[in-house]
Parts: sequence; structure tokens; C-alpha cells
Amino acid sequence: MFKKALSLGIVSGLLAGVAGIIYARVYYSVNEADFSKIVGTIKIIAASLFGGVLAAVGFTLLNKWLKDKGEIVFNFIFTIISFVSLLAPIAYKLPLTMDPSDVALFPGMVIPMHFFPALGWYTLKPLFIKK
Amino acid sequence: MNKLFYPIAAVLILAGSAFTFIAAQNYQIADGYNIAFSGGEIGGIFKTLKGAIAFDDANPASSKFDVTVDVASINTGNALQNKHAKSDEWFDAAKYPVIHFVSQKVVKAGAGYQVTGDLDMHGVKKSITFPFTFRKGGNGGTFNATFNVNRNDFKLGKPGGEVEDQFKLEVSVPVTK
Repeated sequence: MFKKALSLGIVSGLLAGVAGIIYARVYYSVNEADFSKIVGTIKIIAASLFGGVLAAVGFTLLNKWLKDKGEIVFNFIFTIISFVSLLAPIAYKLPLTMDPSDVALFPGMVIPMHFFPALGWYTLKPLFIKK
Repeated sequence: MNKLFYPIAAVLILAGSAFTFIAAQNYQIADGYNIAFSGGEIGGIFKTLKGAIAFDDANPASSKFDVTVDVASINTGNALQNKHAKSDEWFDAAKYPVIHFVSQKVVKAGAGYQVTGDLDMHGVKKSITFPFTFRKGGNGGTFNATFNVNRNDFKLGKPGGEVEDQFKLEVSVPVTK
């Protein structure tokens, strides 16, 4: 079980990372606000992979403890954690050298990325873990 | 009448030329200035400074500072805090778009100088005194000052709370002739 969940976590994490990089590029081209020094490619991939692997551990443990209800509880917790994690970019303090108008655009770039690991997980789960 | 013309002209020229020696050097504010504030967990900078600076280190009494800071240029590094700082609860940038300081007196104080002037902020004008230094360099120099301002004196925010009453201001202004 953990092996499948871990594979899913890694693949969905990577997929979320790639989606995050594409989104960051599109966001930059549309708004001309460059946050690459704060949220660079490596950070996006690493954070997404971290989310995917953490989800794999949580999924395995909850399924072990709660059996059939494990997945339902896991899905709730994963979504809630994704929402709660939005507080981080909202409260994040950017370098003061940045233009205040760019500072206002920062949450708009990062907030959607916080949902990418969960989206990746829910999308790819049927391919890795079948009932 | 002719006899008086040349002596009077000489006196006027002498007085005029002496005055040019007394008058302070005018400086232009150069890029790279920094106006930082901090009060506990809250801190940031103002990004726009304009004004006229006349300074003579040998005769500080002839110096004059008349500078304005654009309130809307406040940057705390966080969009929510920027918005909050510009709101009517704090600086009320829509109603009071600039912070204005005009010096009244500049004196030598120890190794540096001391300026007394009127600080007009958030619709409240108050006389403040703070020390500063001037370091000559190249075609100008840099003014540096660190001093405290009590936000309650200017009715900024509500007294107490999470934001400290005393704000530390650190100002560094490079200037050119």
C-alpha cells in the first residue's frame, strides 16, 4: 500500500511542480511581476514533492488506522491543509526592495499552487490505487 | 550723488559676495536613499522621497531641509499590511498623501548635527528634534539619521495593541551637488 501511495505522491508532486512552474511563467508574462528569486523552479518542485510525499504518508497511515473511512478522512484533511496553507503566502513578507505593486501580486501567484499537489493526487489516484 | 555711488556699490557687492559664502550648498537627492521604519514586528520602507536640501557643514545654521515622503509608496513587504497602512486607520493616504518635514534650526552637535523642524504627518504638525550625520563623498555626500517617533503624537492607529507606540526611523539619503 505504502509503495503505491508513495509512487502516487512522487508522481503527483512532480506533476504539481511542473504545473506550478508553467503557471508561474504564465503569471509572469501576464503581470510582469517576477518572483523567480523568491519562488524559483527548484523551490516549486521541492515544495510540491514534499506535499506529495507527505500525502502518501498520511494516506497510508489513515487507511491503516481507519480502514474503509481512511480515504474519506484523508481527502478532507488534504483539502483542509491546502486551504490552511494559504495563510503562509498571505502573511509572507517579501524583500522591501520589491515594488509595492508587485508585492500585491505575490499571493495571486502562489495561492493557486497550494492546491496543485491535492489536484495532482486526486487526478492520478485512480491510476495508482484501485479499489 | 556721484561721490556716493561707488562706495555704496562697493558695499553692496561686498555684502552680496559675503552672503554667497554664507549661503548653504544646495544638494539634489540621489537614488539609493532609504527611509526605513520599524516598530516591533511591523517594519518597512517608504520608497519615494522628494525635496530640497541646502546644507553647509561649516555653517549649519544656514542649512535648510524641506522634504516630502509619498505615503502611498510605503512597503512593508506584505500586500495586506501595505493596504492596512494606507487605510484611514493608519496613514490615510487618500486624505494625507505626503509626510512633510521642514527644518527650522540646524546646529552642530558633537561629531554630527542636530535638526529641529516641523513634521507634518497624518494631518498633525509637530516639532521634532533629531541628530544626523553628513559624510562627504565624491560630488556630494550622505545624510544619516536614526531617531524615534511616537505614532500616538500623530494619531496613527490606536494606542497600544500589537504595534509598538515608538517607531524607529532610519534615514539614509545620498545627495549630489
